[in-house]
Amino acid sequence: MRIFNYLGMMLILSSVLFSVGCKKDVVAKFEVNDEDVFDASLIKDRPKTNKQAISILHTTIFKKAISSNALFRTERVIESFGDKSLINEVIVSNYMNSPDVVLPSDSLMRADLDQFIKDTYKLFFVRIPSELEVSYFREYLQANPNVTPELVYMAFATSDEYQFY
Amino acid sequence: MKRREFVKKAALTGVGAAAFPYILPSGRLFARTNAELADHVVYVLFAGGVRHQEAVQQLYLSGSQDLDIGGNIMYNMLNGTAPDRKIVYGITPAGEPDGSSPIPPVLSTSLQSQGLFFPEVTAQNGGHYGGLTSLLTGNRSIAQGLKVRPVAPTIFEYLRRHRGFKASDVWFVGSGIGNSFPLLNSSDHPQYGTAYGANFVAPSVTFGADGVEILSNAKVYHPQEELEPIQRMRAFLNNTFRIKNGDIDGIRNDENERENIKAFIRQTFDKKQTGGLVRPPILDNGDLVTVQYAAEVLKYFKPKILVLNLTNVDGCHSNFTGYLRSLHRADHAVGWLWKFIQNDIPEMAGKTIMLTTPECGRNLNPNPIQDENDWFAYDHSGDFNTRRIFTMMAGPNIPSNLTVGSETNRVGRATDNVLTIAEIFGIKDAVAAAGQMDAEAKSLFDQI
Repeated sequence: MRIFNYLGMMLILSSVLFSVGCKKDVVAKFEVNDEDVFDASLIKDRPKTNKQAISILHTTIFKKAISSNALFRTERVIESFGDKSLINEVIVSNYMNSPDVVLPSDSLMRADLDQFIKDTYKLFFVRIPSELEVSYFREYLQANPNVTPELVYMAFATSDEYQFY
Repeated sequence: MKRREFVKKAALTGVGAAAFPYILPSGRLFARTNAELADHVVYVLFAGGVRHQEAVQQLYLSGSQDLDIGGNIMYNMLNGTAPDRKIVYGITPAGEPDGSSPIPPVLSTSLQSQGLFFPEVTAQNGGHYGGLTSLLTGNRSIAQGLKVRPVAPTIFEYLRRHRGFKASDVWFVGSGIGNSFPLLNSSDHPQYGTAYGANFVAPSVTFGADGVEILSNAKVYHPQEELEPIQRMRAFLNNTFRIKNGDIDGIRNDENERENIKAFIRQTFDKKQTGGLVRPPILDNGDLVTVQYAAEVLKYFKPKILVLNLTNVDGCHSNFTGYLRSLHRADHAVGWLWKFIQNDIPEMAGKTIMLTTPECGRNLNPNPIQDENDWFAYDHSGDFNTRRIFTMMAGPNIPSNLTVGSETNRVGRATDNVLTIAEIFGIKDAVAAAGQMDAEAKSLFDQI
């Protein structure tokens, strides 16, 4: 009986020792993750088709979808000219001459330049601008009080990035 | 991208962008290898499939409809008397039968008499796109797919890369946007490509009803107060995005050329509205309208090379009478354009070589379709007759009234034209050395 008591105690003791003695030290390790400072949304490597480009542009400028007939005809006009970027600029400037174009007012733009810039980037490029980009446009618009929202929209609508998604 | 790397690349890009805002395809990699023969070339793709019997052979109806009536319906280009009976190819005076009044000649001396004529040239391709590709690349284009840019470099790319021409120096005026015509202004070749392509315009669309609605009301921005800010902001946006040249399909003009072309578009719409466009005496089909606008391009830009594509004769698939009318008008168009260059563009008069070639012929035997006169139509499906075409040249340094070759002694290939134009601009050896041509192609000047 005594021997069983002895063995039992040994068993309990060894299990306690094992459970405590085998525990690994937890070494706290802190590292900095690799993070891209380049906005991933800038990686737009697929050019819009003429159909996509015109549909999106029309909706952006007029706040309503283009009719299928107008879309078809506009596509034909784009195809009929070799320099797509140039003919796109002519199409946008044609839109800007329309009374139906929807643009923010100059006073609204100048009331909060940072917000206007961010909104414009989101509207045309579907991304948030970097601080560098906000800073450039803020300073440019402050230095050039005659620059209107229309001119800013023209620059965005005829830029290379607007042709990609 | 790590921050350090980003900052470094952004700085380098900024410096690079300031120093080289655009990669201009104007660097000449080869010296001129021969003296220039002319300052300008107008290259007419006399296309749509011209049957040799109605053109060079002047058989009119005797080579196609079993009617013994011959005659020349291309008398601005070819020597020969017109048919004297069954005249259907002309205009229609009131109360007269359709097409019964031939269009009066616009040239007092035919282009054949003024220049060099190769009456039996061999086409390398019996289809439109392959044939046009051969005429523009000098390559046989056997592996050329449809709806893709040419595999081999075009004459536009050779001239821009090896001769340093600007984009607005080279123009391709197409008859429309079908049949992949808009893709012919440059190849997909990795060493050439759209960076060296030509300005393309299809006037029937650009300046047609669609163009009027979509382009003609374009806002004119003040150059300093409005346009300059747009360009500055756009330059910033483009430098941030940094696409590679060629990522956007189509060619690119520099900012000065863009403004010049936009001014041309505005001017052309204004002229159209006021009836001020130049025009050939007869203007009743698509080819003539295309030529009308090609003349406007010539007058405005004085380009180094303008390629003009005609197509209406292809109606021969189903309407032989319509084909004769189109052929007669294509001749009228070419004659008028030549006269216009000599009389109305002093900067190009006497300094321009015009070169004219169909892209393919048509079959010897008809298909079963009959037209209003019960005349049979003709396709172009690749028989020997389809390979029979001609080439004609006129201008400075071109021998006059000289015919080279005959039915029994065929001289010339469609693929010869690119090397011929390269020779006119002094870069024949450079183009040949590029190794992209038909191995049998030779400059036509070497075959006289």
